Amino acid sequence: MLNIDCPWCGKRHETEFRYGGEAHIARPEDPAKLDDAEWAEFLFMRTNTKGYFAERWLHSHGCRRWFNVIRHTVTHEIVGSYKMGEKPPKLPKSAGGAK
Amino acid sequence: MAETPWITPAAIAETFPEGLKELPPRAQVNLRGSVTDSAFTDAVKAGTGIALPDTPNKTAAGTDFKALWLSPDEWLLVGEGEAASLVQKLEAALSGQHVAVNDVSANRTIFELSGPHSHPALMKSSEFDFHPRVFAPGDCVQTLIAKSQAIVEQTGETAFHIYVRSSFSRYVGAWLAEALAEYSVAE
Ligand SMILES: [Zn+2]
Repeated sequence: MLNIDCPWCGKRHETEFRYGGEAHIARPEDPAKLDDAEWAEFLFMRTNTKGYFAERWLHSHGCRRWFNVIRHTVTHEIVGSYKMGEKPPKLPKSAGGAK
Repeated sequence: MAETPWITPAAIAETFPEGLKELPPRAQVNLRGSVTDSAFTDAVKAGTGIALPDTPNKTAAGTDFKALWLSPDEWLLVGEGEAASLVQKLEAALSGQHVAVNDVSANRTIFELSGPHSHPALMKSSEFDFHPRVFAPGDCVQTLIAKSQAIVEQTGETAFHIYVRSSFSRYVGAWLAEALAEYSVAE
């Protein structure tokens, strides 16, 4: 089980959270200007990273805030959490997995 | 189809062991606004005597109501007074501001868990760490109690108020009664 650090509430058990997929995918400014392929790219295409991965989590049973977590998709190591709009924490030097 | 009777927590409350009871309904008002906006916090302070806590998972007392931190811009005001008059008072004090004031009194049932067995009973019902070194009187937390979302407020050295959605209250009440049961066996 993961212990996830909510930027507001502190370390909590994984069962209090909901997963939100890859972080830092910006919604297109004007969706009407995109063709189907571009819209599908935004909507569905994700990087499927093996290694450190920036992802969104929702503290659904706590403060109900979305935030970002850097997690290693193989080892589950969590490097840190940060609020929406903040800079991600530095990755460890011995980066475990390759992208 | 046979009608399923609605069994209220009160119906099982008679079976509650010592250390567990359901509190009479309390006024509960959900308040949202910016804690960094002094016009907002000052008006709340003037109306209720509460200095809204901006530290997560803390409570603050006022004259008739107390505030429980729920999220960075959200508090639950709880008291034995009248919810409607508190809502009116806050709405008047905060008129024109970007805030939300809602009477949510019917949303949650409140259980009181108290006595020497309250800590172990709570600890085995939740994955949150209720150990006194990290959780103390005046603290509150939103977490899972027996898989049901709950607000837990520590009101004394060995006393807790547990707020659960009314529709889950029978289940959580029965769970807590069961959790306490092993401690009431005569030695
Ligand atoms: Zn949180």
